[in-house]
Amino acid sequence: MAHPAVRMDETVLIRSAQQGDERAFEELVRLYDQNVLRLALNLLRSPEDANDIYQETFLRVFKNLQNFRFDCSFSTWLYRIATNLCLDALRKRRVRKEEDMVVETKDGVLDRMDTIEESRAEGNPQRHLLSGQLRQRIGKVLEDLTPRERTVFELRHYEGLRLRAIGEVLGTSEEAAKNCLFRATQKMRAALGDFT
Amino acid sequence: MNCEDVRKWFPLILYGELTFDQEELCEVHLDECDACRQEMAREKALHRALTEVEWTPSAAMLAQARQQLRRNIANAEPAKRRWWDRLPALLTIRFHPVPAVWQTAGALAMLALGFFGARIAPLELGSRTTGASLAEPAVSRVRYVEPMANQRVQIVLDETRQRVLSGDLADQTIQKLLLTAAKDPSDPGLRVESVNLLKGRSDSAEVRSALLFAVQHDTNSGVRLKALDGLKSFSADPETRKVLTQVLLTDSNPGVRTQVIDLLVQQKNENMVGVLQELMHTENNGYVRMRCERALHEMNASLETF
Repeated sequence: MAHPAVRMDETVLIRSAQQGDERAFEELVRLYDQNVLRLALNLLRSPEDANDIYQETFLRVFKNLQNFRFDCSFSTWLYRIATNLCLDALRKRRVRKEEDMVVETKDGVLDRMDTIEESRAEGNPQRHLLSGQLRQRIGKVLEDLTPRERTVFELRHYEGLRLRAIGEVLGTSEEAAKNCLFRATQKMRAALGDFT
Repeated sequence: MNCEDVRKWFPLILYGELTFDQEELCEVHLDECDACRQEMAREKALHRALTEVEWTPSAAMLAQARQQLRRNIANAEPAKRRWWDRLPALLTIRFHPVPAVWQTAGALAMLALGFFGARIAPLELGSRTTGASLAEPAVSRVRYVEPMANQRVQIVLDETRQRVLSGDLADQTIQKLLLTAAKDPSDPGLRVESVNLLKGRSDSAEVRSALLFAVQHDTNSGVRLKALDGLKSFSADPETRKVLTQVLLTDSNPGVRTQVIDLLVQQKNENMVGVLQELMHTENNGYVRMRCERALHEMNASLETF
């Protein structure tokens, strides 16, 4: 989320972008696009799907920026678009059960998470501290959360949004977001309790 | 507070979502309860483990996404303002007496030119393509039906006409259509076929640029492999090598990565050694690693940097 000092610039950027200033729009994208891509990547665990969400989110922002009236912060509006798209994608996945978490390679069947790692140019050294087995288990537990629990957890844990902001993004109360986060962490603790 | 109540708050403590008073109550309980302290330690370990599985998009992925977005934005138009936002403008009277007359006259002249021009000009004007023909409407949708007198009915149809074109691959019109088809997001089969046809024309800068785009951005690995095939004769071209290096380090398909190695090692140079050594750090696929090792061996280079 933007710091107060940044917000002033951000308002200027939004107003300029609304007037059709392409540079201002690009600046605005750059303020948040890494967060959007990371959110989508963590939620969907597929670089292709994450890129689709990224493209669609910012296209919608571009097309509807004229109608943004500063009723909420820009980041809330942006996260609302991105999370709605992610939630739709997660729900579709659950309904169709089409997105297998395994892929076939010449080495045999691999967990999709491991293929994402392959696509990363720079790895996170800390990740290697965790055994592959545990990573798979965490991935499975995250998959088993409901789309809403998953989204609240991702927004709080990885994006660092406060529960109040998450409530605004998802169009619900802070209390409902808190209950959702609580259920998510309970489920994860139950599933991974033997590890810790 | 009892242990059960305190433990319910553990995740919220770690996320800093408790009020000062709630946190204080929790701390007091933890000071006095060994079992809850141990439970809290486990909660923290789980919290850390969850943090470690976070995925951060690589710089290359972000750069590609930005590049694609720029192209998408260039083809998109901002939504029009809602009618109530435009209401003040609609209610404002603007007075332009003389220009308005000229504008109307100009518009009528353009309309007349288009109308008569279309009737005078031959159909094939501006195209060297042969065998062009208009076929019967292929897709139609009934937009509107209205009963009339004497058991008759009036139907309004939306029609899409298919036009059959045939021509030489060197023909600009044919190439342009193939280039468009090669980027059709809805049909991977069409993209594979189009790229397959274009790959023989990679001497054209436009075609080569489309092949490079497909290698980098197409979501279908079959299309990417066909595009790589078309770039074979450009393995020495610096721009092509730059893209291929990026693809080698980021593509999710082992088959694509293997083919990229084969293309890149056709030109052995110092930079190539560094790229392959970097790949050895991240590559998990045994077959790709083996190809990479072999290439490094052939260049008398060590397998990894330390």
